[in-house]
Amino acid sequence: MIILLAIAIGALFGGATYLVLRRSVVKLILGLILLSHGVNLLIFTMGDGVRRGAPPLIDASGQPPAGAADPLVQALILTAIVISFGFIAFVLALAYRSNQAAGSDDLDDLSTTDRL
Amino acid sequence: MLYPLVLIALAAAPFALVARFAGRDRIAWGLALIPLAIFGLTLAQAGPVWEGGQVVERIAWVPALGLNLSFTLDGLSLLFALIITGIGTLIVGYAGHYLANDSGLGRFLAYMMLFMGAMLGLVLAGNVLTMFVFWELTSVTSYLLIGYKHDYADARRGALHSLLVTAGGGLALLVGLLLLGQAAGSYELSDILAAGDVLRAHALYPAAVILILLGCFTKSAQIPFHFWLPGAMQAPTPASAFLHSATMVKAGVYLMARLSPALGGTALWDVTLAVVGGATMTFAAIVAMRQFDLKAMLAYTTISMLGALTMQIGLGGKYGAEGVATNILAHALYKSALFMLAGVIDHECGTRDLRRLGGLRAYMPQTMVVTALALLSFGGIPVMFGFVAKELMLEAALETDLGATLSLLAVAAIAVTAVAYLVTGWRLFSNTFLGQRSMAAMQQHITDPTPGMLIGPGVPAVLSLLIPLAFLGPISGLIGPASAAIYGKPLEVKLALWHGVNTALLVSLGAIAVGAGLARFGEQLANLRGWPAWSRGDMIFDRLIERTLAGATALTRTIQEGRLRRYILLTALAMLVFVGVPFVSFGLGEIRFSLDPQLQFYEILAAALIPIGVIATINARTRLGAIIAVSVVGAMVALLFVLFSAPDLSLTQLLIEVLSTVFLLLVFSVLPVRFENFSAAWVRRRDAIVASLVGIMMTGLVLATATNDAFAPLAPFFLENSLEKGKGANVVNVILVDFRGFDTLGEITVLFIALLGIYGLLRLRQGKDDVAPERVTTAEPAAEPVDTQR
Repeated sequence: MIILLAIAIGALFGGATYLVLRRSVVKLILGLILLSHGVNLLIFTMGDGVRRGAPPLIDASGQPPAGAADPLVQALILTAIVISFGFIAFVLALAYRSNQAAGSDDLDDLSTTDRL
Repeated sequence: MLYPLVLIALAAAPFALVARFAGRDRIAWGLALIPLAIFGLTLAQAGPVWEGGQVVERIAWVPALGLNLSFTLDGLSLLFALIITGIGTLIVGYAGHYLANDSGLGRFLAYMMLFMGAMLGLVLAGNVLTMFVFWELTSVTSYLLIGYKHDYADARRGALHSLLVTAGGGLALLVGLLLLGQAAGSYELSDILAAGDVLRAHALYPAAVILILLGCFTKSAQIPFHFWLPGAMQAPTPASAFLHSATMVKAGVYLMARLSPALGGTALWDVTLAVVGGATMTFAAIVAMRQFDLKAMLAYTTISMLGALTMQIGLGGKYGAEGVATNILAHALYKSALFMLAGVIDHECGTRDLRRLGGLRAYMPQTMVVTALALLSFGGIPVMFGFVAKELMLEAALETDLGATLSLLAVAAIAVTAVAYLVTGWRLFSNTFLGQRSMAAMQQHITDPTPGMLIGPGVPAVLSLLIPLAFLGPISGLIGPASAAIYGKPLEVKLALWHGVNTALLVSLGAIAVGAGLARFGEQLANLRGWPAWSRGDMIFDRLIERTLAGATALTRTIQEGRLRRYILLTALAMLVFVGVPFVSFGLGEIRFSLDPQLQFYEILAAALIPIGVIATINARTRLGAIIAVSVVGAMVALLFVLFSAPDLSLTQLLIEVLSTVFLLLVFSVLPVRFENFSAAWVRRRDAIVASLVGIMMTGLVLATATNDAFAPLAPFFLENSLEKGKGANVVNVILVDFRGFDTLGEITVLFIALLGIYGLLRLRQGKDDVAPERVTTAEPAAEPVDTQR
């Protein structure tokens, strides 16, 4: 099943790279969303193996199920999901404001302030 | 107690600021009591040193790194500490007169005190890392002193040159000292000095020597790094007299002398030092002879003397060690006097150009006598201290172990230098005091300075005469332990004026005769055509700096030209090169995967919908289509979490997915309905290729690393301890709130900051509706930044 995740991650990273290279602000944001999905899945594969049907929950016997999934990567991803949400929300607000100010979806119209 | 010596000087710096008030000359002499007190304290502790022992003191600083704040007082340290504080006393008092009309005197003296503390720390340090810290501190304080008159471009240039050269050398020195410490197994000077045989046989020895010498040569202005020292003459004269003749520039010499028992004795060390030092000595002496600016002349003779000291360390032997110690003292005395006298003349006449001075003997008789004394010592004329020192230098050259050729060359170089010194000294004296009264002298009322100002140069100049006549015994007691520290073995030193008729005396007398003959042609020699300006070291260095800055600007323009996609493209390409290429070369064999018989069709479906969703997002022509496509991807990621044992993630992901979609709909509603293709077709094709490569690389990396079991997983720890220590059955939750609670705190902080940012961005809208939402053309900058608050 690692091959499934590997292909999904590759697609997410590739697609995200393509989208963040675009001049459109909207596409840039879509690329960032895909990138955060890709990173989350990447962390997911980095733990102690990917398992089926063995969530890291301790049952009534006081023991985790045999071969439970890695709880550490899940905790990291949980944090990452929430942070990337905060980040995306911020970028969306930024896009909203810049669109109001510049009236354009083209990043090149926003570059005049930081040209060397 | 050695560290108070350093501490007193450093702590005195803020107090020196009182010298900005009126009555500066008296305040300065009051402040001069501080170095004098340190001088006394040093002498009071020097008891064991006279017998060839040392005072050691060690304070653990960072014990884990072997970093001790240790101080050692031995003969060499004592000699330097006495010179620093002794000359320092006179200079501080002198500065009060020299800068009497300058309210910046307080700042100047504060820098001087800082420098004195740094210099004392350098020579007293018993640990090479401690020493390095003070070494750098002297570079920084020297920078501040040279740039004291910071409203002059020349002063800023001189300060920058000296900082770049000495700090650049300092970097080399740091690495060299670290290598040395590695090789010796300790950073304590005593251990390093005891490990000489191990060091010389060590594989790191050549690298360490070259790096340490780079540091020393830059600091002590050896060829080809000598050019910063004449530029440093932009400093006020008291600073030049102190730093750039008597103390700081000798730091490099000090370090070489200090390490020579451990590192010396090899061809690499001895011959390098002898050749570079000898070349510097001769070259700078000849250049000095041809100068017209008093301070420039003295600056070049200083470079020459630093070369002579370096050469004597290289020549080695008993006389080399003795010569170094004696010459350091003799030079510090006459050169600080000469610098202060140059300051007196400059101060009284308003110029230090030899072509505009002259005939001052009638107006400044006392100054003339003191100058004559200092110059006689400088010229190595018999019965002066400079003569005693020069004889030892000649002995060192005659008795060296480096072979007949080098010995002969060294003697010849010393003779040429001695002749050049005489011509220089005569030119300095005759153009200033003899001859016709000059224009400059006529324009103002010129007299000897107040006695207070003449004490500064007077004391060392008179000592240059008195020491050989009356105090050779006590001074031998000081020179002896210092020479022993350089030699590495106990040494009996008895300085004497008269050694009988020997080769050294004959060479010396010959040089004096030739010098006396050449002296009358001094002006013709000075007016001969010199090297073209472009070939001067400081000009070349200026161009080097310019080119570096231009190159850096061009590079920045290329890689940071203000467009996000360029940065991202470079990042992606760098990743492909630095991760992808090594992976393809070495890591492909790590890729392992087997077809899983338990693979379910819904798993394949969920995973397959991700690439499909990605492609749909890229190809979407409308914003609604893009939102739907990206939501499908998010939902499939959530589904994968469910399928692969991560229910918490799935719940969170779904919740966030819903919220994100709402936000996207809200924000995209104000953006254009249809997407345009801004980029040209070839750009899109190029980006597609780069993006595909990144995707393929990531797939390969996941396959190679996820199946790697080289590292023990952390998971069992959390699974076992969750219930017992965290009192929770949901291990992921326990990790979040307990084991890694600070991560969660950080996460909340990030969310809060994002919230503040969003709030700020959206609030700006209020009262800003009159900001016209016009397209700003790329050619002109926006007339007004849109985010200014009203």
